[in-house]
Amino acid sequence: MKVSLFATCLANALYPDVDLTMAKILTYLGHTVDVPDGQACCGQIAFNSGYFDDAREVARTLIDAFEKSEVVVGPSGSCIAMIHHYYPFLFENDPVYLAKAEDLIHKSYEFTQFIVDVLHKPDLGAKYKAKATYHPSCHATRLLGIKDAPLTLIEHVQDLELLPLPESQLCCGFGGTFSVKMPKISEAMVAEKAEHVLESGADLLLGLDMGCLMNISGYLEKINKPIKTMHIIQLLGEGMKNVHI
Amino acid sequence: MSTYKPIVEKRVDNALTNDFLRKATRRATDRLRHNKYNAADELGDWEKWRLAGDTIRSHVIANLDYYLKQLITQVEKNGGHVHLAQTPSEAVDIVSKIARDHGAKTIIKSKSMVSEEIHLNKVLEKDGISVVETDLGEYILQVAGEVPSHIIVPAMHKTRQQVAEIFEPLAGHPLSSDTPTLTKFVRQQMRQKFLQGDIGITGCNFAVAETGSITMVTNEGNGRMVSTLPRVQITLMGMERIVPSFRELSVLLNLLGRSATGQRLSSYTTILTPPKQSTDADGPEEFHLVILDHNRSEILGDPTFRQSLKCIRCGACFNVCPVYRQIGGHAYGSVYAGPIGSVITPLLENDWEKWGHLPYFSSLCGACTEACPVRIPLHDLLVKLRARKTMTGHTPQIEKRIFQAYRYMFTHEKTLRQALRLGARFQFPFVQHDRIVSGPPPLSNWTKSKTLPKVASKSFMYLWAEAKHKGTIPTPNSKE
Amino acid sequence: MTNTNDFISLLASKLGRSTPQSAPEPAAFDVPSFQVSSQERVRTFLDNWQALGGKGAIVKSPDEAIQCLQEWFGDLSFAQTTNQGTIVSWNLLPAFAESAFTTLNWPLARYSQAAPSPQDRHQLAAQAELGVTGADWGVALSGTIVTSSNPQRGRAVSLLPPRHLTVMETSKIRNTIAEILSEVSALENPPAALEFITGPSRTSDIEMDLSIGVHGPIEVYVLLIDDSEDTASNSSD
Repeated sequence: MKVSLFATCLANALYPDVDLTMAKILTYLGHTVDVPDGQACCGQIAFNSGYFDDAREVARTLIDAFEKSEVVVGPSGSCIAMIHHYYPFLFENDPVYLAKAEDLIHKSYEFTQFIVDVLHKPDLGAKYKAKATYHPSCHATRLLGIKDAPLTLIEHVQDLELLPLPESQLCCGFGGTFSVKMPKISEAMVAEKAEHVLESGADLLLGLDMGCLMNISGYLEKINKPIKTMHIIQLLGEGMKNVHI
Repeated sequence: MSTYKPIVEKRVDNALTNDFLRKATRRATDRLRHNKYNAADELGDWEKWRLAGDTIRSHVIANLDYYLKQLITQVEKNGGHVHLAQTPSEAVDIVSKIARDHGAKTIIKSKSMVSEEIHLNKVLEKDGISVVETDLGEYILQVAGEVPSHIIVPAMHKTRQQVAEIFEPLAGHPLSSDTPTLTKFVRQQMRQKFLQGDIGITGCNFAVAETGSITMVTNEGNGRMVSTLPRVQITLMGMERIVPSFRELSVLLNLLGRSATGQRLSSYTTILTPPKQSTDADGPEEFHLVILDHNRSEILGDPTFRQSLKCIRCGACFNVCPVYRQIGGHAYGSVYAGPIGSVITPLLENDWEKWGHLPYFSSLCGACTEACPVRIPLHDLLVKLRARKTMTGHTPQIEKRIFQAYRYMFTHEKTLRQALRLGARFQFPFVQHDRIVSGPPPLSNWTKSKTLPKVASKSFMYLWAEAKHKGTIPTPNSKE
Repeated sequence: MTNTNDFISLLASKLGRSTPQSAPEPAAFDVPSFQVSSQERVRTFLDNWQALGGKGAIVKSPDEAIQCLQEWFGDLSFAQTTNQGTIVSWNLLPAFAESAFTTLNWPLARYSQAAPSPQDRHQLAAQAELGVTGADWGVALSGTIVTSSNPQRGRAVSLLPPRHLTVMETSKIRNTIAEILSEVSALENPPAALEFITGPSRTSDIEMDLSIGVHGPIEVYVLLIDDSEDTASNSSD
């Protein structure tokens, strides 16, 4: 299968290794990976701030970039949820782009969902020794209904012990622009999330959205309780070194 | 900048530095949420129930004129009086005129959010009438001179010691702060007041259009007191709080009790078709139903936000909201707090200056939408309210510029690639130990409490292009 | 105060049409049903009632009813006196209850007969130690008793005294409130008050700490009279 990567703006700029590892894993699984030029952002930053017109233009650019793709995979539940949940609304008055948006919706997946539910490859032979806990990001869980896929991938990593995260359903307080628009409330939220991460007894925090992980790890570092934080893709990348991805 | 901005910030600061409030909010919402999960699970297929609740409420809203007319006709046929109020002040005038006409000295009230919405007590008290809130939580707040912080548990921000101190002047002696003592004290205090009330004012959970009935749900029994003992009953309702008939009512009662407190049915569910029959042994002889619009008709005419009228005021969205969990109800500043309050307050009050902050009291995590028993897409409505605020010119210029720049950059990916290269090169003043630890606003809002990774020296798009150029892109065949 | 026609036509204009002249097609919905056998229904009712702190028993004969009442109320001062007014009741109770109270020689003050004015009736109920009522229905799923108002029944009887006793035949117990509301719908007019009572008066308003009896009854009792045809059931307790 030819798989197009949606790098997502955050991973592209701050965590290129997440995208690169995603490319390597998909290649390892026998797929041809491409990264269409012109893609930049799903538009969520402007959308969540109420700037729908700006968001729409950014979304249009993304749709155009993936127009010829067969399948699109991205390392973020939130960005994929933006496409699935809000593009039909953004383009409700634009039949041409509405049709293109629907096409993108049908062919786009969040990474863990793609690996487990589409490719049916829950076991990638990864091995990583850690006591980990997993933060289920809100948009992946609530808007895309992704609950089991990330856990399935984590559970198949050898030597990894998965510990429950107390009150895991709580938002970490990131919320994109929310974190800078309402910084104090956001801080109170991430402080509680950090409390629960520490409470879990884990030495590794896992997730499937770099936004949330950046928020939680940034706070943990500031309070001098740095706990290793990894995207599931990074975990697999590290754990699959033995199979030379 | 809005003149209200410092006020909002102060309220948030007050909340965030009030440890008891935050602990109490966590405790209350955790308890209510877990009770709800149990009660919902027990019913089997909660999603089916939610769908039914949504269907019923949507149907009512789509036919609100018909059902309201039917309700009015039916209440009048039963011998009740209906008063329609376009504005809060009209509603207050109606109630205070009824009170004057009856020479009322004491009014006893059970819980009514509409009475809070129209700020009724202040006016009645100015008229020299003693108004008694009879819900325990509301009574605590009335004596303390405060407003509710939760729609179901109004005084949850008060400690038992504070409650004892609030009641001591009334008792005239020190009170122990254990719950049975305080409860017993209120029972004794309230008895005479119940028996002496000239008028009872109640809220209305659902009015039944077909029969002209009103339904009231309480756990303490004060709603029954207020609707049984005084000679005159006044019920206040928002105009959307209707069900067509008893058939729909049973579904909504099931959803309400379970969603609000995790009860199968609240302790007292009272379906009144007032006034009393002439030969009935007791009950109010005279009944007034005050129906309030207060911009609900504007919301009805707005297809985007019409759905917010489906709300049954159960408070389930409060109990899952991570923002409410941290700041409690008072920080919102509005009568209706929590996610639903953030949606309806700017619309009801029609004032962006004063209430424009509310749609931003959400990380858009979607927990509210998931919890709503009538499937109001609350977080979607919050984001659409932000857009409404933006499009009607109520957001700052600087914000608009930022998003214009964002739009340019993220529709020109090649330029973005170069910009990220530059950013990586010039971020050094803000970097310490490989992390960004300071920056200009609005970045500083982040770096005050969190570090940020550096902009990568080569973005992924750059790296990939480079690899493509060098021919080193991994391919399925190239792997070992 | 706005005129009704103006108020309604404003809404119609907001909905972008004129107000329908006839009733809209009712909303179509489907919810899971809860149905159990009649024997299980009684059991479920009683379990739920007791789980909320209510006391309850199923009796098959007046003797059992007397035993039960003595057990519940025999220690109370009113049971030993002939003081009129410590027990207030509806004008008419199920026959079992009437004969039990007569045998026990516990006088019942009949709410609407004992006092002419509503205020006096309220005082009577407020001073009573026990209020005794019948019920029209019970709800198994929630452990609820349902009473409707009429001239022989006071609403305050189940509300003002600190103890409330309901005497009800087991055949009146339904599965859900939906069944009861559909029976009420079949009446020509609903009663002025239809009260669903589920356990004692409760509140968690102080620090989420459950507390009983802030306004309504502190103790609630239900005496279920087994009128099932199958008297082989041995579920009295």
